[in-house]
Amino acid sequence: MTLFFIQRSVWALLLWPSLLTVSMPLDCKEEQGSLSGCTSISQEKLLDRVIHHAELIYRVSEESCSLFEEMFLPFPLQLQSSQAGYACITKALPMPSSKSEIQQISDKWLLHSVLMLVQSWIEPLVYLQTTMDRYDHAPDMLLNKTKWVSDKLISLEQGVVVLIKKMLDEGMLATTYSEQGLFQSDVQPEMLESVMRDYTLLSCFKKDAHKMETFLKLLKCRQTDKYNCP
Amino acid sequence: MMKKFREVILLLLLLSFVPHAEGTRYSLPGKPALTRCRSPEKETFTCWWEPGSDGGLPTTYALYYRKENSETVYECPDYHTAGKNSCFFNKNDTSIWVNYNITVVASNALGSTFSDPVDIDVVYIVKPNPPEKVAVTVMEDKGWPFLRVSWEPPHKADTRSGWITLIYELRVKLEGENEWEMHLAGQQKMFNIFSLRSGGRYLVQVRCKPDHGFWSEWSSASHIKVPDYFHRERSVWILITVFFAFIFLIVSWCIHINSHSLKHCILPPVPGPKIRGFDKQLLKNGKSEDIFSALVVSDFPPTSSSNYEDLLVEYLEVYIPEEQELILEESKDLHDGCLKPKGSTFDSDSGRGSCDSHTLLMDKCGEAKDDGRQTDQDGSQTGSEAQRQQAAWEQEALTYAHEDMISPDMSSGRVKTWPSVFSPLPQYSLSPLSQPSSLETAKQHCLSDSLFPPSSLSSYLTQPGQSTKEYVEVHTVNEEDMVLLHPVPVGHSHGKGCLQTHQGEDYSKVNGVDKNNVLLLQREVMEEQVDMCPCENKDANGATESYCTSSAQKSIPCIHTALPVQEEKAVNGYVDTATMFPLPIH
Repeated sequence: MTLFFIQRSVWALLLWPSLLTVSMPLDCKEEQGSLSGCTSISQEKLLDRVIHHAELIYRVSEESCSLFEEMFLPFPLQLQSSQAGYACITKALPMPSSKSEIQQISDKWLLHSVLMLVQSWIEPLVYLQTTMDRYDHAPDMLLNKTKWVSDKLISLEQGVVVLIKKMLDEGMLATTYSEQGLFQSDVQPEMLESVMRDYTLLSCFKKDAHKMETFLKLLKCRQTDKYNCP
Repeated sequence: MMKKFREVILLLLLLSFVPHAEGTRYSLPGKPALTRCRSPEKETFTCWWEPGSDGGLPTTYALYYRKENSETVYECPDYHTAGKNSCFFNKNDTSIWVNYNITVVASNALGSTFSDPVDIDVVYIVKPNPPEKVAVTVMEDKGWPFLRVSWEPPHKADTRSGWITLIYELRVKLEGENEWEMHLAGQQKMFNIFSLRSGGRYLVQVRCKPDHGFWSEWSSASHIKVPDYFHRERSVWILITVFFAFIFLIVSWCIHINSHSLKHCILPPVPGPKIRGFDKQLLKNGKSEDIFSALVVSDFPPTSSSNYEDLLVEYLEVYIPEEQELILEESKDLHDGCLKPKGSTFDSDSGRGSCDSHTLLMDKCGEAKDDGRQTDQDGSQTGSEAQRQQAAWEQEALTYAHEDMISPDMSSGRVKTWPSVFSPLPQYSLSPLSQPSSLETAKQHCLSDSLFPPSSLSSYLTQPGQSTKEYVEVHTVNEEDMVLLHPVPVGHSHGKGCLQTHQGEDYSKVNGVDKNNVLLLQREVMEEQVDMCPCENKDANGATESYCTSSAQKSIPCIHTALPVQEEKAVNGYVDTATMFPLPIH
């Protein structure tokens, strides 16, 4: 027993320099591409990346929406779509809707709102992927775009989580993919209905993506210049 | 117990000796080092390491990483995709939000060695793949070629959505040269290269870089050959040649245009003979007789100085109509300009235009028109003058072979002028003998031996010294230009004086001939010379010829104009000199 213990301690003695080096934080150097960079990304950089991410997501979602419109929607229905045949899924979420409300909300709530939005959209987009595969004439570009958006959204979620942790020092868990959301439906809807629903989904997502981008930019504005921002 | 204790001591000894064991073959593996980590599209990345010495024993390598602010240690998910000594992180494992802390561990039988840890920020290690589908074509811009290079971003890089923003750079060089020409293209995927060498072979390469990241590798070189645009340069030379030829033509044309003036400047012409009034055609014809005769003109050589003066002074040509003949009088000065002797100025150079008008003549001659007597005298003076002229012309007329030189009817008024001045002198004068056909017997009582042309009437000439008082009347002029005279009885005219002027007939007595072959006529003196007549009477006795003129009084030399008379105009005893005067013309 003691012998065994002595052996293990000897091994530990041999290895102790390495352990020290592993756990010791290195000096942060902002050199581009240097291998000995900072241990953590700065907050400003992180925020910039998140904003950039959100911008891209919005842009691509806008493109997908217009593509979908051209491909699948007959003209009379385009007029009807705006009449809220289908409500947006995130309508129930407590979102600041007006400028005055946004002015009153704190940074924390801004970030949390963004996270909520992101998290609530991950699943519907996955669902959208599956439904769109069923279409006969769905162009590849549309499918690629929607896939891209869903992937990026997941990445955005991770970024927002990290950002929250950094800014607010709150630890949070990312969503798991196995959750089945609101969209579970076994019944295969009709083509037209499906198209309408998908189109509603896309357009609602487009609006929410724009919201995310706006909140994040507002957050950035508050970081840099507190008094001129709305 | 003792065995185990011995093992422990052995182990401790080994432990102490391990650092000092240099010569042993087996050792711990050397320290590996992470050489680089690269992400081609900001979605995945790969890390490579360099192994250290293996220590003689088979060594394995492992890569462990930790995410930022998390203690969880993960091992590399993929050692094989990227090759030997590499670790590939796929999309799910790559996060742009956090840093990675990566360590490589080399381990063999004896132990493990850890490398220095490295922190990775995925965004900053992006090194894209080289651009793809680099196409180079030759295009023309107004005859000058240029290269158009176009490419596409690497297919993995997601530039379409804006995930990565790439900037491009290309380089060009001639084959065989060492220096590359770099061009920065920004975010565009096309670029034009100008100022190429004609006929050159070029190599083109493109690379790209994200906004934070590394330059990619150069794409594979594209070869292109620029066609020869030598013809273009030649056309410039052709243009230059044509331009200079044009200028040369213009210059030579200008010289040709001005060749005469240039010749005059360089080789001034020799002045030829210039004789006024001389017809150069005669020289060319070559007959010497004609030439010499042409040289002898009426007013060449000038016989009197008055000719020169006439030429110099402006004078008038007076045309006097018949009714004004009496009125017109010459001015006192013969050379006043009113009169113009005939024949002196047939030269075209003479300036007679100023006095050409009739009115002018009238004004000029108006002052002297009153005194008749004076005019008589003057007229006689001029008459003698004219007589001299007349004689001279007669001489010329004889020597002339050509009769048409003399034409009585002159177009100019010159002919008419001065004889009419002398019209108060009712005289007839001989017409020139050069026109025998038109001559008429003019009854003239003036005797003069000089009236006769010396050549033909020499036999009739009396000596100039003689002062015969005989009177001879002209009878006829024969064809040989001889004036036939017959004596006139003296008694007839005695009572009337030396020179009686009948109303119907006018006679003039020739006093003599001066050296210039000019007739000197005796003036008719009315009463005074009555005395002379008895002298003549005495002479008539025949005994002695006494000079009447010399004895009593001097006979005033009568100067009368010898007026040639033409038959047509001699009717009323009034001489119209317009038709009478033959003037030699040149």
